[in-house]
Amino acid sequence: MKLTVDLNGSTRHIDLDATTSLLDWLRSLGLTGTKEGCGIGVCGACTVLVDDLPVSSCLTLIGVLDDRHVVTVEGVADSDPGLVEAFVDCEAMQCGICTPGHVMAAAGARRAGVGLGDDSGDVDEEIRQWLAGNLCRCTGYETIVAAVRSYLER
Amino acid sequence: MSQTTLPRRMSRTDSRSKATGATLYTADFEHRGALHAAVVRSTVSSARIRLIDCTAARSLDGVVAVVSAGDLPEALCGRRVRDMPLIARNVIRHVGERVAVVLAESRATAEAAAALVEVEYDDLRAVFDAQAALRDGAPRVHDEPWRYPGAVVTEAMHPNLQSVVSEGDADTTEDRLAQSAFLVDETYTIPSTKQGYLEPQAWLAVPLDDGRVRLRGTTKSPYRLREQVSTCLGLQPGDLEVEPTPLGGDFGGKGAPGDAPLCVALARMFKRPVRLVLRSAEDLTATDARHPASVRVRVGCDSSGALTAMAFDALFSGGAYAAHKPTATVNLHGAVEAALGYRLPAWSVRSRVVYTNTVPKGHMRAPGATATIFAVESAIDELAAAAGLDPVEFRAANLLGDGDVDAYGHRWRQARAVPTLRAAATAPASVPTPQGWAGGVGVAVYCRPTAASSTSMRLLPKADGGFEVEVPIPETGTANHTVVRELLAERLDVPAELVEVRQVSTSQLPGDPGVGGSRVTVGIAVAVDELARRWELSGKDGPVEVQSGDSLPKPVLSYAAQVARVAVDRATGQVKVLELVSAVDVARVVNPVAHQLQIDGGTVMGFGSAVMEDLIEDDGQLWAANLGELKLPCAADIPKLTTVLVEGGDGIGEANVKSIGELTNVAVPAAVANAIADAVGVRVRDLPLSAEKVWRGSQSLGEERGLRS
Ligand code: FES
Ligand code: FES
Repeated sequence: MKLTVDLNGSTRHIDLDATTSLLDWLRSLGLTGTKEGCGIGVCGACTVLVDDLPVSSCLTLIGVLDDRHVVTVEGVADSDPGLVEAFVDCEAMQCGICTPGHVMAAAGARRAGVGLGDDSGDVDEEIRQWLAGNLCRCTGYETIVAAVRSYLER
Repeated sequence: MSQTTLPRRMSRTDSRSKATGATLYTADFEHRGALHAAVVRSTVSSARIRLIDCTAARSLDGVVAVVSAGDLPEALCGRRVRDMPLIARNVIRHVGERVAVVLAESRATAEAAAALVEVEYDDLRAVFDAQAALRDGAPRVHDEPWRYPGAVVTEAMHPNLQSVVSEGDADTTEDRLAQSAFLVDETYTIPSTKQGYLEPQAWLAVPLDDGRVRLRGTTKSPYRLREQVSTCLGLQPGDLEVEPTPLGGDFGGKGAPGDAPLCVALARMFKRPVRLVLRSAEDLTATDARHPASVRVRVGCDSSGALTAMAFDALFSGGAYAAHKPTATVNLHGAVEAALGYRLPAWSVRSRVVYTNTVPKGHMRAPGATATIFAVESAIDELAAAAGLDPVEFRAANLLGDGDVDAYGHRWRQARAVPTLRAAATAPASVPTPQGWAGGVGVAVYCRPTAASSTSMRLLPKADGGFEVEVPIPETGTANHTVVRELLAERLDVPAELVEVRQVSTSQLPGDPGVGGSRVTVGIAVAVDELARRWELSGKDGPVEVQSGDSLPKPVLSYAAQVARVAVDRATGQVKVLELVSAVDVARVVNPVAHQLQIDGGTVMGFGSAVMEDLIEDDGQLWAANLGELKLPCAADIPKLTTVLVEGGDGIGEANVKSIGELTNVAVPAAVANAIADAVGVRVRDLPLSAEKVWRGSQSLGEERGLRS
């Protein structure tokens, strides 16, 4: 299938089997910042933005991406340095395998207007709910929540 | 060096490369011309292989070979006992066992072909349960396990035993138990779960022109892996070089050789690089999960509440191979150390690990201790209740103190159990119990010795006044490279930014036992002391190298005391853990953030064990076969975490440090079980502590009450 995808701000014309996963395509381009964890849409290690929404790239088939905008961790690292700084300052990682996914979930949070608080105005709780699709086995999440909050406040 | 923490100006060594996605893990490496491997794994638990039909698989475009046991050397591998074949040789002993491996020009082709391999089995009798495995006439998992290299069992023992350790004085213990004013005799069970690292195991073996093999992979102990693989394949250690690679999580699971020996054998055989990256579901179901256990504890006290004796008897299902256990006893030290925490006038400990037709079990964060402490700390609470005593005061009166001799005969200069317990117990509650729910509070204590082990390092001065330090240990995520940087910067009196830490391959330093056993920070501290001394002696010139270990300091004890505050819905049994307080006995903290991450991550892992995680082994099949089924805690699940650092501990080395990595995951399940009992009077002795179990418990409580009234 022939399609056109905007990847990290540059236009790509590709011809691939429509059932290729977005994750496999990205990694075949050498964009290995997007990680494969569970492979079934549970862990969030493969999170990227498609038209500003965080999605699991392991479950996203390339065939649905014609004329869409895809942003990976490599894309935000340059275009949104404050995001990386927030994770560095808060030391929001240990092994780091989940970190690019959390960074992309944070990028999606800002675009979705997260950060005003849940029904009771609790911002941390709102962030925790937003991050429910991103697992981290290492950190216990406290510094990740702090990093996302600090980014949303920047 | 009197301050509690080092001055800090910098983030950890790896934060920027991890936040930008630049850090490369094993699966991020390709190799031109590599063969991609996919393993065909058994779907049955116990069988003879009648036929492996590879015709369809071989006919796929891009398939180079389908290899089974007959094509490979008859080699056995393991960390201590070598009882595991590279690929099953005629006999299948567990679901997930390697039956064949496909090598192809792409991963997709290899996986597609693996699915086309047809295996016909003749089923054999199987045994899944540890108890059943020890009966007379139980199906034998191995014919003659005592013949395996490194075996610790003998022909006189039950043929399904992997290991048995018995310590203490059983006769005196029986007498004292019989004379006790109050006695608890209960059995506690925990299921298997997985370490839960998110990076599946992966290997890349590259044959070199000179006959050596360069291996990259998900190993936390490169030097030990080199030894295990070379012993297994009859190579010299120098024939293998393990490349430095960070890990995407470990928690004990990446100390096992896994598929590494197979990949090295294939790379040598085909003279091409071999790359194997497991899928997550495959990793969950076929690699070294936690040992499930059933633990009987009998513990008594006199009428004043002084402990009289404890008899501890643990039975672990070790799965189909003992190969993943590294200790000399092939047992789990958490269980062997069950009598460590309290002053016990009499005690006995027995810990048995048995072969079953289930996935071979391995180490997970404080191996054996989660089962042990769940059992012992639940039983201690039950005993306090039986004696009508407050659980905190009962513990305080019986825990080891400074200068006490423990059950095993060691005198500890410092044993800060009671101050740590009090710090946890007096931390104010910060989450209110929701209306209509029953609130409860529970406490549990874990005591762990910390000992340094030997490691090596090399210091290379740079022209700009800075230093490069070469270390043998991978960064597993614990910030061990950051600890090296900060301790060394302090000793050499240079700013931390002038110290650059690099892991090097196994050909470049003398050795290291790997990450694990809570030995890393203390081991680093001792080696850094040595390295700094050498640097002074060298006249501050040229590279200096150390291999520490000649005179290692005495071990010290560390404690974690944890309080759980829960709310229980009486109608449904639903449990909400509102807050977990972790009081931790610390010496000097090198990096407060990394230290806190270990505390939090451990506590959340303990929370997962307490209320969520179960691989659900049923007749040798794992039903929680992917991360959708095996529930690991997410950010929205976890309770409020509160930490109290109990400062003033005596640590190891001039840096005065203790361990932290395996302290806070252990006591949480008992603390939560004790809190549930406090809230609604229901004692659940089986993990995870689910709503169903609490509800069933409350139904039978109701019935008892009904009968009595
Ligand atoms: S790898 Fe895609 S969600 Fe886990
Ligand atoms: S940092 Fe290891 S999984 Fe999150």
